Amino acid sequence: MALIELREVTKRYRVGEQEIVALDGIDLDIAQGEYAAIIGPSGSGKSTLMHLLGCLDTPSTGRMMIDGIDASRVGGNRLSELRNAKIGFVFQSFNLLPKFNVLQNVELPMIYAGIGGAERKRRALIAIERVGLSNRVKNTPLQLSGGQMQRVAIARAIVNDPRIIFADEPTGNLDSTTGESILALFQELSAQGRTIVLVTHDADIAAHTPRRIEMRDGKIVGDTQRNL
Amino acid sequence: MKLWLSLLMGLKEIAAHKFRSGLTMLGIILGVASLLTTFALTAGIAHGMRDFMTQIGGIEKIEVGRQDPPEEQSSFAEISPGPTVADAEIIQRRAPLVNYISPVSSLQNAALTRGNQTFRAVVYGCWPDFFFINKHELDAGRHLSQIDLDEACHVCLIGHTILEKLWPGKKPDDALGQSYLINGRPFTVIGVFKLYEREDDKMRRENGLVRPAVSKNASNRGRGWDPFFAKNTSVQVPITTMFYDYKSANVVNLIDQGPNYKLDQLVFQVNDVAHFQDAIEQARTLLTVTHRGIEDFSFITREEWFDSMERSIKSTRISGGLIAIISLIVGGIGITNIMLASITERIREIGVRRAIGAKGRDIFLQIIVESSVIGICGGVLGLAASAGLMRLLATLTESENTPIVEPGAILISFSFAVAIGVLSGFYPAIKASRLDPIEALRYG
Repeated sequence: MALIELREVTKRYRVGEQEIVALDGIDLDIAQGEYAAIIGPSGSGKSTLMHLLGCLDTPSTGRMMIDGIDASRVGGNRLSELRNAKIGFVFQSFNLLPKFNVLQNVELPMIYAGIGGAERKRRALIAIERVGLSNRVKNTPLQLSGGQMQRVAIARAIVNDPRIIFADEPTGNLDSTTGESILALFQELSAQGRTIVLVTHDADIAAHTPRRIEMRDGKIVGDTQRNL
Repeated sequence: MKLWLSLLMGLKEIAAHKFRSGLTMLGIILGVASLLTTFALTAGIAHGMRDFMTQIGGIEKIEVGRQDPPEEQSSFAEISPGPTVADAEIIQRRAPLVNYISPVSSLQNAALTRGNQTFRAVVYGCWPDFFFINKHELDAGRHLSQIDLDEACHVCLIGHTILEKLWPGKKPDDALGQSYLINGRPFTVIGVFKLYEREDDKMRRENGLVRPAVSKNASNRGRGWDPFFAKNTSVQVPITTMFYDYKSANVVNLIDQGPNYKLDQLVFQVNDVAHFQDAIEQARTLLTVTHRGIEDFSFITREEWFDSMERSIKSTRISGGLIAIISLIVGGIGITNIMLASITERIREIGVRRAIGAKGRDIFLQIIVESSVIGICGGVLGLAASAGLMRLLATLTESENTPIVEPGAILISFSFAVAIGVLSGFYPAIKASRLDPIEALRYG
């Protein structure tokens, strides 16, 4: 069974009188260990899809299975638990907490998972080492460069050992060299068997991933697999 | 999420905005300070009033006064002998609900003389019970006795101020056995009363600060008649001595009007305040006999007076407390306001926290903890501030009553601060916990 299974998933919003169909009958499987990119212009529904896959939202109709759990009809608290245990997020604007240092930022997901102090620190340090920032543990985000901040965000995303990592335009705020190094990091994580889904509008970035899911007007218009 | 972690985060958030948190806390600090100060001031006033009540004999003291007989009795009212020692004797024998009773015949403005020292005071001729009815306490010596009464001895009990005036610098013990003149007749001191004073006067004296001239107070102490002063300047002698020495002749225009053994006062104390009215009825029945049915007497009680005192204490406390609570609520609104501003500032942060797995209730808890920490810190600082406030008030206004800080008042004030802290965080916390994670992440 695939790690993620979407069947006939739609998502509609009501804006005033108007109903907007953001996702229109999506069928999608993502298997364990895949490295995929969802690509499409703005308004294509790729962000909405990522929010659904990331358990930030539930579909209007259709069924969504994540790691064997039906996530399409669950309540807010259960969604939070799913996000905490199974999903790691990396955002375009890093979204680190400016008042906390690197270690504390990486520890945050484990706090909500209820993991004890010593274990939390141990695991956070491993994750920080993994992204190569062991010498910056006590720094606050404002003392770091953009690339370093994104590395912290990736450490935070992997620290709870999630089943899937979602990255929303992870290189959007970085110069191309730094962006390359971040993509290289994803590549490494993927090589270690992690499931990673990138969301981007940039075809160059999508060129890095074996699988490429193209979206337009709330529909999947292309799903190609390549061997890199 | 563990509570102490949220607590830590709350403290961190407050520490990150020291000035803003301080300003927010100020409302709570002032509210708590004024609440506790109000409690302490009213407790001080209440204590002072109760002290005053005790000094004048408490609620259990009843005075028999004179009154004009009713109209239908006025034509033959002379058959009543008026207030006499017989009234006291019959009540003493026949009224079991009466604890102590004493007839009083007094000399107003008697001249107390020793050597070249003269001091004017009230001298009470009375029974030994008078001492107990007026809640006197002995510093040195003994009470009046039945023998003193039977023999009409020239002995007396004197107040502390009289000791200071006639024997300056002498200890109460050294005055025992000493003699002086009351309106020219020699008396021996057998007892000296304790010095009666207010709590704050006592404190001042013990700290070595002497209030200027204890004696000049009676007129300017605000309440007019001052029971402390009156008791400190009183003299008690056996009523028999009073009658024989001072009341056997009443010379007006060189003609002796004969002895005047009428009482100036008849006072008694009831056994049990629960049977207050019953005791009065017993006394009334007996006095109706001695007065031959003429109702030329009445009972003067302090019940109503004391009740109204208690009522005014209570209403002062409630109205003062209410004003303080209003200022606390205003402080609480300040917290709500700041928390709302703070969550608006942190919408993105809340979104991130939600995205990495925080539940709505985790966010709720975080905001509540922050506002509670403000409440708790404000409460603690407010308690400290109230100590300063009380000191300030004490120096600004010369109050007769030292504020009394009761543990209960501290507890109530502090709990109010905490409750306000928690409650004022409620609305912002609900608002924050209901934020849609997607919207929150997109914000700003």
